[in-house]
Amino acid sequence: MIDWLKNINKDYPEFWKQYLSKFEKKSNRFVVLSTETTGLDANSDVILSIGAIAIENNTILIGDVFEVVLLQYIYNHDHGISNEFIIESKQPKSLEPQAIQGFVEYLGNSVLIGHRIDFDVEVINKALEKLKCGRLKNEALDIEVMYRKWKELSDGKEFSLDELSELFKIETSDRVSASEDAYTIALLFLKLKSRLGIN
Amino acid sequence: MKNSIAERIADFLIAHPPFSDLSHDEITDIASDIRVLNLEKNKTLFQINDLLHESFYVVASGVINLSVISDAEETLLNKCVPGDILGLRPFFAKNNYMMTAKAREESIVYAIPIATFRPFVAKNAEVLDFLLLSFANTSSNPAERSQGKLLNDSVRHIDNQSEIQYFQSLDYNKNPLTSTPNAIIQNVAQIMTDNLSGCVIIQENNLPIGIVTDMDLRSKIATGRFYITALVSNIMSSPVVTVPENLSLAEAQLFMLRHNVTHLCVTVDGSDKTQIKGVISQHDIIAAQANNPGILIKEIKRAQNPDELKRLREKLAEFIRTSMDKKIPLSHINNIAGEVNMAIIKRAIDLAILEFGSPPARFAWLSIGSQGRKEQLLQTDQDSILVFEDVAPDKYREVKEYFLKLAKKVTTTLENAGYPYCPYGHMASNSVWCKSLTDWKNQYSSWMNTPGERTDEICSIFFDYEIAFGEILLEEALTEMIFKNAEKNKKFFAFLGTDTLKKPAPLSFFKQFNLEEEGEHKDKFDVKTRAIMPFVDAARVLTISHNIKGINNTFLRFKQLAITEPKYAEVYLNAADAFLTLSKFRTQEGIKNGTTGQYLNLEELSKSDKEKLKNAFLPMKDLEEIIKNKFQLTYFT
Repeated sequence: MIDWLKNINKDYPEFWKQYLSKFEKKSNRFVVLSTETTGLDANSDVILSIGAIAIENNTILIGDVFEVVLLQYIYNHDHGISNEFIIESKQPKSLEPQAIQGFVEYLGNSVLIGHRIDFDVEVINKALEKLKCGRLKNEALDIEVMYRKWKELSDGKEFSLDELSELFKIETSDRVSASEDAYTIALLFLKLKSRLGIN
Repeated sequence: MKNSIAERIADFLIAHPPFSDLSHDEITDIASDIRVLNLEKNKTLFQINDLLHESFYVVASGVINLSVISDAEETLLNKCVPGDILGLRPFFAKNNYMMTAKAREESIVYAIPIATFRPFVAKNAEVLDFLLLSFANTSSNPAERSQGKLLNDSVRHIDNQSEIQYFQSLDYNKNPLTSTPNAIIQNVAQIMTDNLSGCVIIQENNLPIGIVTDMDLRSKIATGRFYITALVSNIMSSPVVTVPENLSLAEAQLFMLRHNVTHLCVTVDGSDKTQIKGVISQHDIIAAQANNPGILIKEIKRAQNPDELKRLREKLAEFIRTSMDKKIPLSHINNIAGEVNMAIIKRAIDLAILEFGSPPARFAWLSIGSQGRKEQLLQTDQDSILVFEDVAPDKYREVKEYFLKLAKKVTTTLENAGYPYCPYGHMASNSVWCKSLTDWKNQYSSWMNTPGERTDEICSIFFDYEIAFGEILLEEALTEMIFKNAEKNKKFFAFLGTDTLKKPAPLSFFKQFNLEEEGEHKDKFDVKTRAIMPFVDAARVLTISHNIKGINNTFLRFKQLAITEPKYAEVYLNAADAFLTLSKFRTQEGIKNGTTGQYLNLEELSKSDKEKLKNAFLPMKDLEEIIKNKFQLTYFT
């Protein structure tokens, strides 16, 4: 509550205030998030695309997705990268501020799910910072952590998304995109969730 | 907005019927309403008696088993592999699931909302046909399902049931409310309310031009779009969907589905240019579904007393009547009626055992005669025998007493339920027909080896038996013994054969019907003795002589004979048809007059029916020849 009062005084963009107000209630919606970035440094790299899909009542809602390709003209120009692949992509495209705002509105107070979700959250936080917003407040669950917990393995052991898919015999599509990854993560999450007995 | 996951799922679906009949865009639209479920191993998707889900399912990965519970055992009907569709029941029915779907291994399924898919079914003939095909499809054999990967969710408690459901007739309102197009809405609504009716057919010159249902009143009046003083023609749905009389349950469902309506108007020829004959509502369809023999059998299994059995037996009579009206093949009705009768006998024995305690020895209750042949359609009397295993001589009396007491109870229960006692006392409650296996073996052996010596008794009905209850090994022991004795037993076949030929002829020398000359049934035609029994007897003696075991039904016996003895195939097939024709005459007569149908009043038959009847006698002559030659009866008679 105090947090919330503190926030309201700050001069946040309208969409962020809306976002914060959603946390008065607890959510039973999960949003599976996957991002494609230019690299693994949250400080210098940027998001190229976001794919997200929602889960409610243990079912993946195919109609409830968020997909966007970010038009990183400035970054690409600075790094001498061609915009060709962005132009070819059939997915909806937006500039970073609109994409991030759209995602935050889609996400609401849902619980975030991802594979190495900390990094996804971190890059989104960086983008939010540029928009003079606070950090994401959503609870987040990581399927890699869940897998280790189920197998009672030590923290050091790492499993890539492909390895996890292999272990659970999930067929992955040849198309590589953030949305495809999000869908695969969603299936893995359902499987792990039932194994760990989480409701 | 483009949705790449929906497209990915669409790519999967398009490879499988019925989706392959839709365009990619249509499937992508459908896919965006899909929910994806993960089922861990042994997780139930839906089970028998669950409320219907709002979706049907497509297996994306893994295997889902479909099973039914019958006789307290789980029977696997089918397994669904990726691409297979299951849980279609909500398309066709409103009552609960009749099978259980359970993940055999961890599986992923797509849940497709019925509401999303229904419009595509309605406007796409191929998709509809696919559903229809599966609906009429009775095969539960995985090997036979190659062309259609979709499963009927109605359950076969007994053979042919889904076929019957397909043919099953509907009872519907034959005096629907009607109104003219210039009636006032308020008045029409009042009439509907007074008559507790959900719809009114709007007619002009008794031709249907529209329909007003509760829904129209809700959506067009209650919303304020029209005043209640307006003319009814403003709010009627027009044109009304018309269908012909004699529509089956399945057809009615498909019409409703195709036109997305809740009521169908029945007219003389099914077009809106002929007279109104009635209206079929969704409620009629639900009622018809509740009336199917599978549910009847379920209820019988739970019946607590003879009165309940009686009520259920009356339901069976009703079922037979509507099935006959509907022209369902008689062989199907025979089978189903046989199963239901069998279930009633079983339950009667159950109840008796509950009362007297467990039997002191293993036993088998065999239905004999027409029930053993599953040809008992109407009020036919009870014929049964009881066989118990051999016991120590000092126990024999005690054991026999128990079974006699049990049998008396059962036959009384059955009598109360509406099965009259056998006038000749061919019942397990008769001390002569309730005995140990050895005694029975001796009995059959004396019938077969010294036929006609010690008794004039027509023993032939004892050779049509079917186990109703108890230890199947006892039945098998009897069968084995009978066939062993039958081998090269000329005398026995001669006797049975002669008995067959001894039946009074149906027609006189001048091809006139031989009518009863005196008594209660004077001037009527005894179709049972003069026409049906000769076929039954002929089929019996021929099957035994060919060593054909386990087929007791006359129709099926002739069919089997046609296969076993191809040179007479034509005669046998004609005989099978003739037998059905004659049974139909008898059943119709029985239904009409509430009798056993043994005596036909020929004056009530049309000329063409009389011809049909006469034609049915024709194969008798050929059968007689076959029997005479085969058993060399000229030496004996």
